[in-house]
Formats: sequence, structure tokens, C-alpha cells
Amino acid sequence: MRNFKTINILALAILLALTATSCRNSDKADDEMNTNKVLLQIDNDPIVAYNIWFKVGSVNDPQGKEGLTYLTAEMMADASTKSNDYSAILEKMYPMATGYGAKVDKEMTTFRGRTHKDNLDEYNKLFMDAILNPAFKEEDFNRIKNNTLNYIKNVLRYSSDEELGKFALYNYVFEGTPYGHLMSGSVEGIENITLEDVKQHHKNYFNANNYTIGLGGGYPNELVDKIDTELNKLQDTAINTMVDITPKPINGLEVLLVEKENNSTAISFGFPIDVHRGDEDFFALALFSSWLGEHRNQSSHLFQVIRGARGLNYGDYAYIERFLNGGRLNKPNPNNARNNLLFEVWIRPVQHIHRHFALRAAMRELQKVVDNGMTEEQFETTKNFLNKYSIHWAATTSERLGYQIDSEFYGIEDGGNYINHFREKIRNLTLEQVNSAIKKHIQYNNVKIAMITSDAEQFKSDLVSNADSPIEYNSPKPDEVLEEDKEISTYKLDIKEENVTIVPVDEMFQK
Amino acid sequence: MIRNIILLTLGLFAMSSISLMSQDSKNVFPYDYEVNTLENGLKIITIPMPSNGIVSYYTLVRTGARDEYEQGKTGFAHFFEHMMFRGTKKYPGTVYDSLIISIGADGNAYTTDDYTAYHLSLSKEDLDLVMELESDRFQNLSYPEAEFKTEAGAVYGEYRKNITNPISVLWEKLKYTAYDKHTYKHSTIGFVEDIKAMPSLYEYSMEFYSNYYRPENSILMVAGDISTEDILEKAKKYYGEWEQGYTAPKVEQEPEQTAARSAEVKYDGKTNPIVGIGYKTEAFDATDKSVISRELIGDLAFGSNSDLYKKLYLKEQKVQYISPYFPQNRDPFMSIIYTMVNDPSDIDYVKEEVQNSVEWYQNNLVDKKKLDDLKKRQKYAFLMSLDTPSNVTGNLARMVAITGGMDAVEQYFQTLESITPEDIQEEAKTMSEDKRTIIELQGAK
Repeated sequence: MRNFKTINILALAILLALTATSCRNSDKADDEMNTNKVLLQIDNDPIVAYNIWFKVGSVNDPQGKEGLTYLTAEMMADASTKSNDYSAILEKMYPMATGYGAKVDKEMTTFRGRTHKDNLDEYNKLFMDAILNPAFKEEDFNRIKNNTLNYIKNVLRYSSDEELGKFALYNYVFEGTPYGHLMSGSVEGIENITLEDVKQHHKNYFNANNYTIGLGGGYPNELVDKIDTELNKLQDTAINTMVDITPKPINGLEVLLVEKENNSTAISFGFPIDVHRGDEDFFALALFSSWLGEHRNQSSHLFQVIRGARGLNYGDYAYIERFLNGGRLNKPNPNNARNNLLFEVWIRPVQHIHRHFALRAAMRELQKVVDNGMTEEQFETTKNFLNKYSIHWAATTSERLGYQIDSEFYGIEDGGNYINHFREKIRNLTLEQVNSAIKKHIQYNNVKIAMITSDAEQFKSDLVSNADSPIEYNSPKPDEVLEEDKEISTYKLDIKEENVTIVPVDEMFQK
Repeated sequence: MIRNIILLTLGLFAMSSISLMSQDSKNVFPYDYEVNTLENGLKIITIPMPSNGIVSYYTLVRTGARDEYEQGKTGFAHFFEHMMFRGTKKYPGTVYDSLIISIGADGNAYTTDDYTAYHLSLSKEDLDLVMELESDRFQNLSYPEAEFKTEAGAVYGEYRKNITNPISVLWEKLKYTAYDKHTYKHSTIGFVEDIKAMPSLYEYSMEFYSNYYRPENSILMVAGDISTEDILEKAKKYYGEWEQGYTAPKVEQEPEQTAARSAEVKYDGKTNPIVGIGYKTEAFDATDKSVISRELIGDLAFGSNSDLYKKLYLKEQKVQYISPYFPQNRDPFMSIIYTMVNDPSDIDYVKEEVQNSVEWYQNNLVDKKKLDDLKKRQKYAFLMSLDTPSNVTGNLARMVAITGGMDAVEQYFQTLESITPEDIQEEAKTMSEDKRTIIELQGAK
């Protein structure tokens, strides 16, 4: 039965949104001020998406004040401005069903939000005010500082071991470099930061020479210049935000055991790769890591070995770019573009009795593919998969805008559509390219491993002595699985005692 | 494809309150849609919308944790959702996976208290294959016992992963304390002892499939670049032979709560104290003013524009957050307020403030502008949530699943539009202390 017939204005707008986008640096951009612009104008789209990018990130935090960029961005996006109290801002945003927020990453900070066109004027005023005129009130500062400390001390250390494991791995690999602390800082860093530091940091880094305007959806042409003129009122400071990141060479298998009372062991391991989206090899490695462990995808190889055949945990994945908040998100959230990336494997929590076995299983799979390369069949299947699957990564205008900002970061000429560019690169890959990229960039001898576990001394001794880790199941398994188990449970991981560090969880992210 | 999102974390709750209203058009939902029913009772909702070739394909089974009425079977609906990926004789699990891979579809599933959802986002040219695969597993699921037992290990892994979050611990305790008879007593993932015993329930899994995975208990929802005619034709071909046989679960009604309840629960890790306060409420009914008023009270009294939020979070900074979760449910559930308190010595004060806020709404009329702002907010939130086919289906899923169709959508907005400050006050009066359950969670260290 036919129920309703209704107007289709929105539907039409969405059609246009998906088919008639303009490219970045469109002819509408005003180059007079020499500002970078990323524009995805979509006529008739009822939504306008904002993404203002500043080239500053946690790498620009001064030593001893880790978290300064984060606190500064939060004091802009989540606090009062000179014209409105924070509660007044919330009140004004409320009927519009919207808001804005800051995302601070290692090398970039983006202010993002979206509004229905009906409310554009009011929204624009509030959004720009947050960037231009933060009030830096003591009460907001105390609240944000307190929230951040609670996040590090309680949420991150205790509420999700797998997120803890991933952050622990990144800090471990980049120890001693400006990449070596959380984007939200360290406990002592946050405690050391004063409101005066925040004001100064805003002046220095969120300046008139350091922004890129990203706009998407149904905005009017004049909005671009309007925003540009406004942002030009920021301080005219010139500051170099680029920093040198040279991670310490990894010497064999190096292990960080974060000790806490928990019921399962979370495992992450990886090493730096000298590749990003702007490099040809990136796409070959993207195909490889998708096959090995596409994020939250049950067909990927590691998932099949560890969960599918053995039921040891909830999932097992591989990455060549940082996937933040992967426990919750199915698709990557753009705008953590980085010049320094890891190849990374994420093994979701396994029972402690299986920790050694699971680590061995994953490392052994890595060795197999590095030594033997991918097969023609694996290559073709993954190529077809990625070519289609990647269209789901940027379904909305905000997501597409986020990807285009990242393209700007990496200096990619993608014709204004990174996803299409990615698909084309994937389609043109050959098996030889993929296997040679694996040989060139991926290895299994020098790897850092971070694990969150109980009774770390015992685990350390098991690891260092290469103790067998036989496994028993509560259900019958096929012979080939049992045969393979014998190899896995005695697979040699050459870990030297001096390469294992045990850290109590309450010391994590302290400095 | 991860198939088990359990709605435990606060972040996901926002999705459940779909809200729309319109001043200038008769209907609020902006797309044409049709609801058709096959002879076997399978309801098919088609929502054609321009989407550049992308289609969202949702199968809703109106069975969730609510239907687990038998002793020792809690968590089974969710576990069974995992098993739905283990294949059929025609398409064993690995074949199903490789076919989904070959078309690059983004597939997933989740289980909630009231329903289970299986969904894929795909290119329209792959519809035939997807309908062939989906209809096959809903009619001919078949897996060996060994695989069943292996999958039970993954579910236990999921439980262990979730329970490190204090909100999961509090949620379990709140349901356990507030309910005596009704199956809302347990969380969707189930009691841990039942999860551990799952490997022994192979026979029962067949029974479960046979009782609940039936056309008259399921709804197909397809949105995107489609034509209704084409979907109906395909649906007849692929689902036409699906046999009826739904057996309703014997879910007991919960007796009326007559006295305040409370409990404390320890969390093994470190956390600031978290307080969860639940007020019993009615089952969702889109035409019932009191039900819709109750939903609005969540936002008015405890949302980011509420006086209490401004007082406790912004001004006094006594809490890390305060957040309402007033869900729509098939049977009478609870309206819940969560808050994380900075200092344990403030717990009583914060609890008191929550009750004071309820009492304020019992004794006063809400400002008309504030109520209108909220209605406006609902409209924009809805309009802005309909930008992709999977957002459309995802946002409609709960209301469609718990009411069994699309009628509730328009009814909901008609009722919403009619709510007055007096309605809000009337409804607030039902939030009395004897309908309340308070859980206090404290860290172990």
C-alpha cells in the first residue's frame, strides 16, 4: 500500500550533493590574501559544512607543557567567547541542533561543524567568534583541564585496554620525539599549563598566516571571502610549526608491558614506515594492509586466523595510517594527517592464557606474508574489494571535506576527490608493485610491541625464554588448525630480556 | 564486518531519538516511501532517494534481548546474531564473506534490547546478489557445532572488552536492580555466567532460529537508488518461500514499581563515581502525549541546554558530565540520567539536584520558548540526519522495529507538535521517587 507522498526538496539537494561538486581552489576563491581554501560547494545542499584547519598540533607543545595545543583548541571550541558565555553559546546552538568542535592531532588542528542553511548566519557568527575571540576564562580553563586529566588518568588508563594499548604503542615508538605524547598531553604537562600559556599559544599558532578554509555544501559564494576577511584579523605572527621527527631505531623485538589488573591482554605492535598518501607506495601498502586486516572486517586475514578459526577474541586488524577511536568507529574519521606513520597491528583483548599464542600467531602471519608476498588471488580479491568498499569512507559532505583537507596536507593532486583518486590508484596496481612495496617497507625483525596485561613478570619470562604456548579449545577444531597450532605455539620470537620494559598503568602518560 | 554493536555506550544513544516535525508540510519525512507486505507477512519498506548508486539494505528482526525469557539464555539474541554470519549449505560462512568482499559492501549487524538489525551498504548493481545471500541466510542457516562453540569464544571476548568500561558495569546493575520479572533485567550481551555456558546451547540455537527468524517477525527496509517495483519483484523471488512460524516469547510483565530502589556497584578500575538514575516509564507509543512528553523532559531537564547542566557541569563543576538517555522501547522501560561526579562527597548533592530538577518540572510550567526551541531542534536534527541512505535507514530502525512499521514516524511528529507546557508538567508528575532506581558506581582503587 502506498502511504505517503511528500516533497522531495531534500532528496534533490542530496542528488546534487553527490554529483555536482566543485573542486578545491575553485575560481570563486579569492587569492588576494593568498589563503589556502578547500571548497566543495554543492548547490541546493541544505547543509553547510565547516572545516577550518590550522597547521599546529601536539608536536608544537613545549616540553613540560604537553597538551598545550589541545587545551588551547578546547578553550576556543568548548568555552566562552568575548561576546558569549559558554552557556549562552549552547543555548544559541540548541534550536539549530548543531555545534562545533576541535580535533587536535599531531600536526594539525581542525575546527569542524555543520549547520542547516536556514541557520547559516547565526551559526557562522558563533563559529567564527570561537576562533577569533575566545574569552579564556578561568572557569572554562579549570573545567577543561579537569576533564582532560580525568580522561587521561581514568578513562584512558582504565576504561578501554585496547585504546590504551594503541596509544601506548605510538608513544613507545616515538619516545623522545615531539610525537611521543598524547594529543591531549600528559598528566604533568596539563598540570603545568597556565591560562597565560594558552593565551600565548593562541596568539602564536592560531594566527593569520596559518589557516586553511574548508567549506562544503550549500554555502553562498560570499561566505568564503567573509570568513577569510575575518580570519585575517588573527595575529600576524610568523612561526614555523614544522618539527623534526626521528624515532629511535628499533633493535629487534622491543616490548612494553603495561601492567594492571585486568581480565584480558590487549596487544598492539608496529614500526614506522616512510610512506604516506602522497607517495606511490602508499596505495600498494594500503592494499596489503587491507588484506591483512581491514578495519573491523571479518574477511580479513588476521581476523580469520585469530577470531574466525580460533575464537580467541573479537577482532584483529592492520593499518598503515592511525585510525583513531577504532573501537567505536567503523570508518576512519579524517583530519589526523601525519608525516610520520606506523605499520600497526591491533589484536583485540585475548584471555591472558592466550596472550603469548595470539602474539605469536599474528607475528607469524606477518612473517609469512613478508617472506612469500601476496598471491595473485589475494591481490585480485582485495583490489576489487577496496575499489568498491572505499566509496563508503566519505558518504557525507563533511567527510569528503575532511578528506580534501587531508589531501591539502599531503600535497596530493587528486582533482578534488581523494576517494576517486584512491580508487584509481588501487585499480591500477599490479601484484608486483604490492609485493615489492611489502618487501621494501614491511618487515618483522624490528618491531615494537605494546601490551596491556596482568602478571607482567610472568609474561616477560615466557617471552624471553620463548616458552611454548600450547592452546586448548572447548570445541573440536579441524586438523589443519590443530597442526598449525603446533607451529604457532613454538614459533620463535627472539626477545631479549633488556628489550622488555614493564610499566605500571598509573605511570602511563604521566610525563 | 563487525556484527555486534551493543548499545551500551552513551555515545550511541543519541541515535535512538529520531525526531522530526514540520510546520509547512503535512508529512515530515521528506522522501516518498512505500510499505508493502508479502503473503508470508514479511513487511518491506522502500525509500527511493537519490544517492548516486548507493543502497542501504536493512533487515530488522523484531527479537532482541527482551525476548530472552528462558532461564540461562540471556545474551542469546546477540550471540545468535554472530551465528548468522556462519553461513548456509549453499553459501558457507567463508563463501558468504568472499562474495560480500567481491562487491565491496559495507556490512554489519547489531543487537539491542528490542530488535536485531543486519545491514549492508552496497552499489545498486549488486542488489540481486545481496538479496540472494540475505534471503538465504534468513531461511537456510546451517552451521556445525564446532563453529558454534568457536563463535562463543568471540562473544566472551566481546564481553571482556566491554566490561572494562564502567558504564557497562553500571548499566548491568541498573537493569538488574530495577527489574524483577521482565527480561529488561539483563543487558543485551547477557549475564556473564550465561555467556560462559553458551557453547553448550547448539540445539537451542536451532530452536531460537526457528521460533524468531520468521517473515512475520521481520522487516526489510531498503533506501537509496532503487525503485519500489524492482525491490518488490526481487523480494517475491527471494523471500516468497520463507515460511511462517513465529512463536511469541513468554515475556513476563513487570509489576508496577511501588518503592524507590538503589544499589551500589564496584568497578575494578579507577574512575570517578558515576551515578545512574532511572525512572520507570511507559512503552513507546507515538500517539501518546505522555510518552512524547517524557522524551522531551530528558532534554529539557538534563540536556545541554538545561539549567541543571549549566549549574552542575559549567558553573559549579561538580560533574564531568550529565546526560539523559530516555529511549523508546517496546515494553515499559526507564528514562535514565547518567552523571559522573568529580568528588565522591558530592554524590548525595548531585542526586538531590537531579530530583530537584524533576520536581521543578512537576511544580512549574516550562518556558514556552524553551519548549519551542526543543521542537525546532528536533526538526533540524532530523533533517540533518537524512543525508545518506544508511543514515536514513539507521535512524529509522528503532522506531520501525519496535512499532512494526512506518506509521509511528508521522504520528510521532504530530504528537510532538501538540505538546504543551502543561503536558510536560503532567508527565513530570509521574517521575516520582517510588518509580526510581539509583545506582552508584565507585572505582575499586
